[in-house]
Amino acid sequence: MSGFQAFAENAFSLPGISAKPEVLKGIRVIELATRIFGPVTSDYLGEFGAEVIKVELPLRGDLMRYVAPEGFFWKEVSPAFLSLNRNKLHVAIDVRLPEGKDLFTRLAEKADVVVENLRAGTMDEWGIGYLQLRERNPGLIYAANSGFGQWGPYSQGRASYDATAQAVSGFSAITGFPGRPPVKAGFWVGDYTGALFSAVAILSALAARRRTGEGQLIDISQAEAMIRTLDWTWIHAGKTGKDRERAGNLDVVLPPSGIYRCADGFVALSARDGEERAGLRKAVGAASSGPAPAGEGDPLSPERVAGFAASRTRAQILRASEEAGFSAAPVVGGREQYHDPHLRARGTVWELDDPLYGRIDEYGPVPKLSESPGRMKWTAKPVGYHNEQVFGGLLDLSAEEMENLARKKVIGKWAEVPGARPPQDD
Amino acid sequence: MIDFTGWARSATDPGQANGKPEALPGLRVLEVCPGHFGGMVAASILSEFGADVIKVEPPGGDPSRKYAPEGIAIGGTGLPFLSEARNRRFVTLSLVSGEGRGLFRRMALGADMILTSEDAARLEEMGLGYESLSVENPGLIFLALSTYGSFGPNARRRVKDADILCQALSGAPYIVGEPERDGSGPPGPHQAPTRLGNWHAWFVEGLWGAFGVLAALHFRAETGKGQFVDVSGAEGLMKFVDYNITWMHTAGKERQRTGNFDPAVFPYTYIRCKDGHTFIAAYNDEAFESLMTIVGRPGLTRDPRFSTPAARVRMENEKALLSILEEWSGNLTADEILRAVEDYTTKKSGPGAAVVTGRVNRPLETLAETNWWERGCFARVADPVYGDLLLAAPPWKMSGTPARLKSVCRPPGADNKDVYCGLLGLSAAELDALSERGVI
Repeated sequence: MSGFQAFAENAFSLPGISAKPEVLKGIRVIELATRIFGPVTSDYLGEFGAEVIKVELPLRGDLMRYVAPEGFFWKEVSPAFLSLNRNKLHVAIDVRLPEGKDLFTRLAEKADVVVENLRAGTMDEWGIGYLQLRERNPGLIYAANSGFGQWGPYSQGRASYDATAQAVSGFSAITGFPGRPPVKAGFWVGDYTGALFSAVAILSALAARRRTGEGQLIDISQAEAMIRTLDWTWIHAGKTGKDRERAGNLDVVLPPSGIYRCADGFVALSARDGEERAGLRKAVGAASSGPAPAGEGDPLSPERVAGFAASRTRAQILRASEEAGFSAAPVVGGREQYHDPHLRARGTVWELDDPLYGRIDEYGPVPKLSESPGRMKWTAKPVGYHNEQVFGGLLDLSAEEMENLARKKVIGKWAEVPGARPPQDD
Repeated sequence: MIDFTGWARSATDPGQANGKPEALPGLRVLEVCPGHFGGMVAASILSEFGADVIKVEPPGGDPSRKYAPEGIAIGGTGLPFLSEARNRRFVTLSLVSGEGRGLFRRMALGADMILTSEDAARLEEMGLGYESLSVENPGLIFLALSTYGSFGPNARRRVKDADILCQALSGAPYIVGEPERDGSGPPGPHQAPTRLGNWHAWFVEGLWGAFGVLAALHFRAETGKGQFVDVSGAEGLMKFVDYNITWMHTAGKERQRTGNFDPAVFPYTYIRCKDGHTFIAAYNDEAFESLMTIVGRPGLTRDPRFSTPAARVRMENEKALLSILEEWSGNLTADEILRAVEDYTTKKSGPGAAVVTGRVNRPLETLAETNWWERGCFARVADPVYGDLLLAAPPWKMSGTPARLKSVCRPPGADNKDVYCGLLGLSAAELDALSERGVI
């Protein structure tokens, strides 16, 4: 093991994490959001130590609770909901009622960040928008996540999900194969991408606030986030006046880099520079018997590379890449990731022991920080699960006051339905 | 009472950003990411928030300047590089020579952050890694970008980090695109794991890099300590692939490709319409009822195939529902569908209003919509060297410290004098000598 390797294995050791400080400890985030875009934004902050208080409506809560793959609930909770809501405190307030607004405002007064993803202007109509909250808390950073932004022609009346952003941004038009319809990515990429942009802006706003003490409004549209990620699409359109076309599995900028079918699955081959192209040429050339037939042209044509890959297994291709000096990686799915010792050693597949649900493995934090690493502490909880802890502990409400509010349905807990409620005793 | 929409517009309009303070002024960042677009993204984002980014290219220029779709290059630089080279200073430096390493070290000791896609072990051997540099610069934040990350059993795999590798390992293509054909005959080329058409893995790698170093900056503000931030591009995009791991853990099941269908929510798909395709979603019961009213088939909410969310996500029912929806949408344009949905949902609130649509735009269609221009999402810029270019602007609208686009690109080494003489105090003669020896 090289000196660096020893340093890295030690600096990032998983057992060492719990004794290290959390990078965003002391930052309090109030989330009033549903489904994915908003919840994921605060999840990313919570993974790094922010205290996230997720505010849901009493009884049914976040509608994402009922998005269950193939209709499957595990211990009365959807596995799709779990992976978006870690390390959060779950409270339930009906913010549409006057006393609910008051309770929410009191939480926001004690917060550093508010994350919401309601339709533009809804929070303001309810009297708990940025302008109202900053009166009470000028240091507040308020992330308004939405489909089309807080202002502008599309901002009013248009709702948005992940795939709206995939569609309107041009992302789907350049994904998929020539002569085939545009492809909707099979995961909610428009939400996660927007959420990560939102979280990055929140961190930048925290940096600004350290100097000035002042908070600000962050208006982030998921469609606009997707537009920003389309690399050379726009500069190319500006220069040529033409649409970028779907190119299937070939990276047309770095050919023949792409995804290829092989004997036991699929593999990505990459040749980023001359050195790697020479390596790939060597491997493809050595594989064909004799020199290329006249007229067959470029030995690195995608067709030749496809022929090379087709008769080999993923393992053979990976070995060939290391010997010849190009890059390759297998195309993997969830099953391989789940069983991958590398991902487990990195905490990327995180083995979480939850006090309510027991062992539940999830994707862990992405950036690994040597001094103040992120971590998974617990997973999502039933609606209103932490009411007493938050209303009693943070807002100093007495048991009687809480009972009173519950009676008036201002605060509440879960409905007795799968998705909202705790695990049931057998 | 202030009108929120009007206030938000005046407070966050990117057109008014100049003159406002920046979030990260004075933060010095060295970018050492030859051939690596993800590193450029990370540096761009920090620069958009005001960081002083110095891009270190090998003499002769960064290999990614040669990335040129359709062979289009301007002044020797391809379009992808030009799209992501904003707001920086450009120096050249050979890290192969001892002299070059010495110069890099001097820059590094005055830097707040180093972003690199170079092999962290090799940099350490050259005395330019985090361990060496942090001895003299303990506040240094060091970001390493790679395919597999810097530790773990696969960390020493020999790959040059690239978008396609990270995509493959992320699990994204595995669940994007058409399933393998059932029955006889070989599958078509499109019946395969499908790559995201843009360099999404590289983008997400850069975004996570920016997230990591900004989090580390927060820690440094409180403790004075820097740290090593390790980001795997594969893991960056992996994080977006929904419930892959919880689904395996709780149900023992692996997500599969389902084309434009969705295993957890339906309708949530693209439908054919008169002028192309549009997205349509209405998956909770209340929204589904709204949609069935809009399409004139209210009775279908009682059809056992569609009456519950669980029934609607059975694949055969998804397919049946898609045909029903396309019977309706085939005679309408995407805009007509949008108007029909808006007309109905503006009268609703709550879960019943969650009918969502949006045209599947080709890039030129997106560019033709004035909305994005009003929102400042695109910028036409005139660069003295590279000419008139169309770029995506920073997507955030922020009232206090807005991000901004300040410059496009400069040729390799264009800022050598500025940086080496201005920042490190070299004389003009020393600069010439370094240039003659091929160090810069």
